[in-house]
Formats: sequence, structure tokens, C-alpha cells
Amino acid sequence: MAKEKLSGAEIVVDELKNEGVEVAFGIPGGVLLDLYEVLYKEDAVRHILMRHEQCAAHAADGYARVSGKTGVCIATSGPGATNLVTGLANASMDSVPVVALTGQVPTSAIGSNAFQEASTFTITMPVTKYNFLVTRTKDLPKVIHNAFYIANTGRKGVVLIDLPKDVLATKAEVDLHPKETFAGYKPNIKPNQIQIKKAVEALVNAERPLILAGGGIISADAAEELRHLAEFLGAPVVTTLMGKGAIPEGHPFSLGMAGMHGRIYANRAINECDALLAVGTRFSDRLTGWQLDQFAPDATLIHVDIDAAEINKNVQVDIPIVGDVKLALADIIKWLEKKKRTAGTNENVWVQRIRKMHSACEECIKDVRREGTSQSDMLIKELNRILDDDTIITTEVGQCQMFAAHYYMTKKPRTFVTSGGLGTMGFGFPAAIGAKVAAPDKKVVDIAGDGSFLMTCQDLATCVESDIPVVVCIFDNRYLGMVRQWQELFFEKRYSQTGLGVTPDFVKLAEAFSCYGERVEKPEDLKDALHNAFESGKPAVIDMVVDKEDKILPMIPPGGGVIGMIGTERCTRI
Amino acid sequence: MHTHIISLLVEDHPGVLTRMSGMFTMRGINITSLTVSPCEKEGLSRMTVAIEGSESELEQVRKQLSNLIEVVKVVDLAEKKAIIRDLCLMKVHVKDSNARSTVMQLAESYGAKIVDATLDSLIIELTEEPKTIDRFLELMKHFGVKQSFRTGVTAIGIGAGVEK
Repeated sequence: MAKEKLSGAEIVVDELKNEGVEVAFGIPGGVLLDLYEVLYKEDAVRHILMRHEQCAAHAADGYARVSGKTGVCIATSGPGATNLVTGLANASMDSVPVVALTGQVPTSAIGSNAFQEASTFTITMPVTKYNFLVTRTKDLPKVIHNAFYIANTGRKGVVLIDLPKDVLATKAEVDLHPKETFAGYKPNIKPNQIQIKKAVEALVNAERPLILAGGGIISADAAEELRHLAEFLGAPVVTTLMGKGAIPEGHPFSLGMAGMHGRIYANRAINECDALLAVGTRFSDRLTGWQLDQFAPDATLIHVDIDAAEINKNVQVDIPIVGDVKLALADIIKWLEKKKRTAGTNENVWVQRIRKMHSACEECIKDVRREGTSQSDMLIKELNRILDDDTIITTEVGQCQMFAAHYYMTKKPRTFVTSGGLGTMGFGFPAAIGAKVAAPDKKVVDIAGDGSFLMTCQDLATCVESDIPVVVCIFDNRYLGMVRQWQELFFEKRYSQTGLGVTPDFVKLAEAFSCYGERVEKPEDLKDALHNAFESGKPAVIDMVVDKEDKILPMIPPGGGVIGMIGTERCTRI
Repeated sequence: MHTHIISLLVEDHPGVLTRMSGMFTMRGINITSLTVSPCEKEGLSRMTVAIEGSESELEQVRKQLSNLIEVVKVVDLAEKKAIIRDLCLMKVHVKDSNARSTVMQLAESYGAKIVDATLDSLIIELTEEPKTIDRFLELMKHFGVKQSFRTGVTAIGIGAGVEK
């Protein structure tokens, strides 16, 4: 393309458009005036004004998880940038493609402790896949192209671009839309076929194969391949928290989520299998528990991941496969088909056992009034009955999140959005904003706790202002519930600093923002309240009163392993 | 626990050293020494990192280094297959002519150079493998080492070949 003389801000916006950016979540500031001037004139990039930078990052994160595209957030220098950090760390931990643009003081003032100066470049280095401090306007096209390329290829992640005020204001002659990338950045995409054949051999020879599906399945859009493989192989599928939606929960081969708050039979299956195909997962401690000798002790462990550094990091594996999981699964299926393996149709002992495990859990989840069921369980079970399969669920963090992860039946990829790695309270609501912007035709429901929601609820103003009608369902127990649960179980009910008192009135809070608010005292009233919320067309808050001491059980206690779950009394023995 | 030496080819960008050392801090790995210098390729620098750790820690480090955007190449230089050098400058106290001549003899036998001298001290330069320098420094302690400075290791694979 021919050389053009443009200001840095004009170059930034032009390159954003070239990268296909349709929306950015941000807050302006002094050093970003030039950029916002260009955004004011241009309507190609929609800007959503957030009320806190952390929410801007979470919204970009939620947008990316639902759309598969790279989310974009913008914050000013100093406090704007430092407020972004939690959101960037959150997206990084869950490998979500986000590009953050931050303003910076002029290059001549860097290091002088100027007004609203913070060393964003060094502060954000550990919470990004890569970051740039741009010092010359002419570098902008290459920087922005590489930022998007790095964020949304390989193991996806966060890239931050720090933009000093003078770099945005100065004009330069540049070649727009460059194609060149960094010599050192070459993601491993194509899986090694020798390893694939080894994996196929192990799977064919296994009597009790199991597939463990992580978030990598969803970020690589490989749910179709996963389902095909499971059916062809006759292997059940358990998921991680991030893998929820990789296979429709309810599918005969789906055993639901495994791990600390997973389903007992998902964990049992991991313990009993003799070949484990783990795909797009990093074996976090919340999945494996702490007694690794109980984690797939008899299994040939096959690990497929796009990041070579995840191989043998937490768990020693027998057959590593590094590459794009969609390609790897397609290759495995191709070689399996050559071997004409169709164990899925065989009525072997393992398939029968899986069928029993599957129905034991399904019955428990369908039966709303099951004995010993807590109000919180019942509410999620009600949501299963009320919401359609396309509804996007986001969650806050803590008990509400684990109730949702355990009981909510996710049917499709990219419809369950949660803070898996960082465990960020306050994530679900702004993520719901991003989700709704990405999928305006779908219902978006944030499953929240009263503790979490108060951390980011100011962005109800954003929802009203920008017409983003998401529904927040608060599990209102007036406690920091998960920590309280641990205090109850492991600290003899000494509730140190977990009680939240009696304020606020969430219905009035919603109304103060011109949102719809309703209180639900009994689970059976949730249906009408949700109906009213969706009908109102407004952002809505449903305050669901639950027992103060509801617990999410069963769970792997701290230090325990996958077969040492406590609180299993309610589970059917098989 | 072993000492491993990793040679890296990195793009010469601002912040690359921070990014590198930050990675080690994040992963809880201790760096024994780290050297950076320009190399034969324009726009690239060579880093030599010595770390202590188990084989599995080394595997993690190697992969995490490869993941860094600016790292073009990671080479693990097993000790026997590389020429490894460290440079030490030390200021040694010599109380009399007897001490002076002993120190000078020892320096000569280690291939060290006397680069400065006063009435009661010598500055000695020794370029050798780190272990040899350790031994020489131990010897010099008998006379009194006032100060010592080491550059940290740098290393190159043996033979005519170049690591790909």
C-alpha cells in the first residue's frame, strides 16, 4: 500500500479496522485525547464507555470468549492502566485473546514521575503474552498487526500496546497494513504424525478409554471433532471447568465436569480409566486434586496441547502431542477410522459402567426436589428448565460459580463463560456485558454471588447507557460463601470476616440505575422473575435469597485426591 | 541439582532482558549467572544463562524460554560439548616479597595474568572454566582477596558446526 502521512491515532484506528475490530470497551483520559478524537469522527469501531477499567478488560475478555474474535479494551495512563491489570491477568490465565491499548505520558516525560504516569510496560509484562511500549509513530502499523497476530494464534493470550501521547499525536509517513511478523514467534500448529499414531495405538488397545476435554477444545473450535471421536471410540468425556460446553452435557457419553467441585463419577472415571486422552488442558490443581497417585494411576496418558510448555509441567505424560487440538483430533479420527475401530457400539463392561454413572448423575440433576437438595442447587436446576441451549451463562467466582459448573447443563461451546484460572470475583457481570455485545440476539445471564457482584456492579450504568440488557441472578446468602464454607468445614465454623451484613437492597440498587429488579424468595418463583426480566428489555438484577449456609458439595478437600471427595452422601451409590 | 547452561539468540528489543529475568522469577528458578552481548547477526543478541535445577525444571525453562516472543533460538549446552568461560578480576593482598612471588607463580601456573600491581597488592585476571576460577580464588584467599569481580559464564558449542 502507498505511503500515507497520518497521525499516530489515525494509524491506530485504521489498523484496528483492518484487523476486523468492530467494538472496543474503554474509558478515555488525558493522554488519549488524540485517539478518542479519531474514534469520535469514525464510526467503524463502536466504543462502549465502561465505568471502571477492570470491567473494560473483563468485557473484552467475555466478548472474545463468546465470539472467538480478539477483544479490545482501552484505558488511559497511570491508574487507568493499573486498573486494567486484574482483567488482563484473568484473560491471560484462561488463554483468551485480548488486545489492550493504554495511553502513556509523552516519551520525553517517561521516567519523570509525571502526572498519571505508571510503568505500564513493566507492570503488565507478567500478565501478558507480549507487550509493546511504542516510541515511534512509524512503528505503529507493525506493532498493531503483530499484537493481533500474537493474541489470536498459538496459545491465545493478551497483548498490551502502551501508547505515549506524542506517538499518537505525531504524524508520520507509513506503509499501512504490513504482513511481517517476529522471527522468534512460530506457534506449533501441525501435530507430529508419529505421536498421533502412538496415541491411536494406545486408544485402540485400551479397555477403558476416557477423554478429558479442556478449554483448548473451545478456543480451537474443536467440539465437533471431540464429539465424533467420543462416539467413534466409545469413550466417555469428562471436562475441566474451562471445557464446559466442549460436549453437550446430557450427551450419553458426557460425565460432566471433573475436579475439586466436579461430579463424583467424572472423578471416578479418571481414576478407573486405562487410557486418558487429555486435550487442551493444563492439569490445574483444581482438576487433579493434590494426590496425583490417584489421578489416572493405571492410564496411558496422552496429552494434546498447543503449548509445549504444558507437557510434563504438572503431570507426567506418556504420549505428548503438541499442536492445534482441532487438527490433532481430526488426525486421530482419521487414523482410527483406518483401523475401523467402532467400540462405541460394543456393549463392553466399560460402556455399561459409564451408562450407569451417566444416569446416576443425570437423575440427580434433573430431580429439582431431590432429598437433601439445597436452595442453591434448586435454583440452578430451575435455570436448566427455564433457559434455552443458546443462552450464554457467565459466572462470578465462588459458590455460585461452582453450583453453576456442577449443576448447569451447558449444551454448546462458548455459552459458559467463567474465570477459571485467576478466580476473579467481579468477572461475571462485565464479562456478560462483553458476551451480550458479541451475541446481541442471545440471552445472557450472569450467575452471581452478592459478594462478587458488589465488586463491579457500577457498570450497570454501562448496560443502561449502551442498551446492553443482561440479567444478573444473585445467589444472595449475605456471605463470602465459598470462604465461609471452608471455615465451616475446616475451621470449626469460625466465620472470620466472611459475613456481609444485610445491605444493600439489590432491587433498589437495580432501580437506582434504571434497571429492572426483582427479589425471589423461593426457587419456584425464579421462572416468573426471569420472564419479567427478559420482558422488561432492560438490564436486570434478580436477587435470589438462598440459605445462608448452603454448601456446594461434594468436593475434594484441600490436600485430597480425585477419589477422596467429601459430602457424597447425596450421590447415588453405584 | 545440576548447573545447566542455556544459550539464547534473542531479538534486540527494549525490555528483552526484563522479560527474560521476569520469566525466571515467575517460574521460581534461580539464575546463577546471565550474560548478554551483541552477536554476529545484526539485530540479535546472544544470552548465556546458567541455572541450577533438576532435569524437569530445565525442561520447563527451555520450553518457557522458547515461548518468549523475542527468543529466536534456545540451545542447551551440555557441559562436555561446549567451551565454557568465565572471566574474573581480583585484587589480592601481598604482604611481602615472599607472598608476592608465590602469588605470581600460582597465577602463572593457572594461566592468569597480572594486570596491575602496587607495593602491597596485585590485580589478577583469569579467564577459565568457572570451577577453575573457584579453585584459584580459594588459593588466593590464603593471601587475602580484597575484591573479586566475575562476568558470568559464556559458552560456545565445540566443533565446526553451528546449532540450528
